Amino acid sequence: MGVRLSAIEYFLPKGTITNQDLEKEFTDWNAKKIEDKTGIRIRHVAGDDETALDLAYEAATMVFKNILREKVDFLLLCTQSPDYFLPTSACILQNKLGLRTDIGAIDFNQGCSGFIYGLAVAKGLIQSGVARHVLLITAETYTKMIHPKDKGNRTIFGDGAAAVILEASEEDYLSEFVLGTDGRGFNNLFVPNGAFRNKYNPVAVETSDENGSIRTENHLYMNGPEIFNFTISAVPQVLAKILEKNKTDLNHIDYVIFHQANKFMIEYLRKKIGIPPEKFYSNMLETGNTVSSTIPIALKDCLNRGILKKGDKVLLVGFGVGYSWGGTILKL
Amino acid sequence: MNKNEFFLELKSVLEAEDVELKENTVLRDLEQYDSLAILGIIAFIDEKFNKRLSAENFGKVTSVQSLMTLIGEERFEENG
Repeated sequence: MGVRLSAIEYFLPKGTITNQDLEKEFTDWNAKKIEDKTGIRIRHVAGDDETALDLAYEAATMVFKNILREKVDFLLLCTQSPDYFLPTSACILQNKLGLRTDIGAIDFNQGCSGFIYGLAVAKGLIQSGVARHVLLITAETYTKMIHPKDKGNRTIFGDGAAAVILEASEEDYLSEFVLGTDGRGFNNLFVPNGAFRNKYNPVAVETSDENGSIRTENHLYMNGPEIFNFTISAVPQVLAKILEKNKTDLNHIDYVIFHQANKFMIEYLRKKIGIPPEKFYSNMLETGNTVSSTIPIALKDCLNRGILKKGDKVLLVGFGVGYSWGGTILKL
Repeated sequence: MNKNEFFLELKSVLEAEDVELKENTVLRDLEQYDSLAILGIIAFIDEKFNKRLSAENFGKVTSVQSLMTLIGEERFEENG
């Protein structure tokens, strides 16, 4: 039995931060330079009362314009921004969306590789006969975890959610997966305080890094140089392994979509690997880095703009926080 | 790569065309030396020297010379 992607939608919250907004707040930051280097002009920001679960709800509601919600027999929600420690957001979402009660619903905590992991789990659920229609949602609100004076991270990240339906099919549209994990890098992209290892500290001290970005241990920390080093090492190998495992080569791939981390980073990876620019997507202009949603947002935008069409083979690679990475080839 | 070529390429990476880079130029004092510039230098050193500098090592970079020491003095030819 095969698996195919039969619907895809995404939702961005209304609030935005433009490069001009950042330039006003951080006087040494230049709006044009931000766009030139990061490829980002606008990032969307969830409101104070708007959570990842709310964004997930909106994205899923859009998907249900194309498919009956009664068909969904498994809900997978990828988020690192749950409403509560417990219960799992997916259970609350099942009720809000009016999904059947005789279905499975779980969250999984994964970041930039999350969409790929969701595809892999959905494929397993379908091929093992556990489910026939999986609703996979990625939803993230990193902006809530970033210190207001953290210039670097506020420039990169935006909030958003995406929803897709994976369903059983005769032909297989999802190739073999390559997945990877290296927890040695866990503390290069993390939120130190607030869970059970280190409790939220109401009097946490503000520290400034050498670029003038300010944060506390209650906020998101990203070691940009180490994350970049990790991607330079991991991504070319993942891509080679995906091609090898699926007995194909780049000439037989119509398009490549990486996790849209920032323009500079993925452009460097593209050149290093030798992917022709016409086969490579780089666009986070009006979204920023939305973590687990960048790949489905890119897929949807490519379909809307006619860059991709039915039957195209698209190589997808996600990589980041964890460290965690993964990739596959999706036939549309 | 000889040292002059290195200075020129580094200037281009930093987009610091007006600055004269020499061994004793303090990178941290340049207004162009920010978090985006550091990613640029990492990419440049990976591409040209096939070498990756850890963030910890980057924390020790002060002058252009200190960056060249991290890359390895033996990787630079004398200026031709």
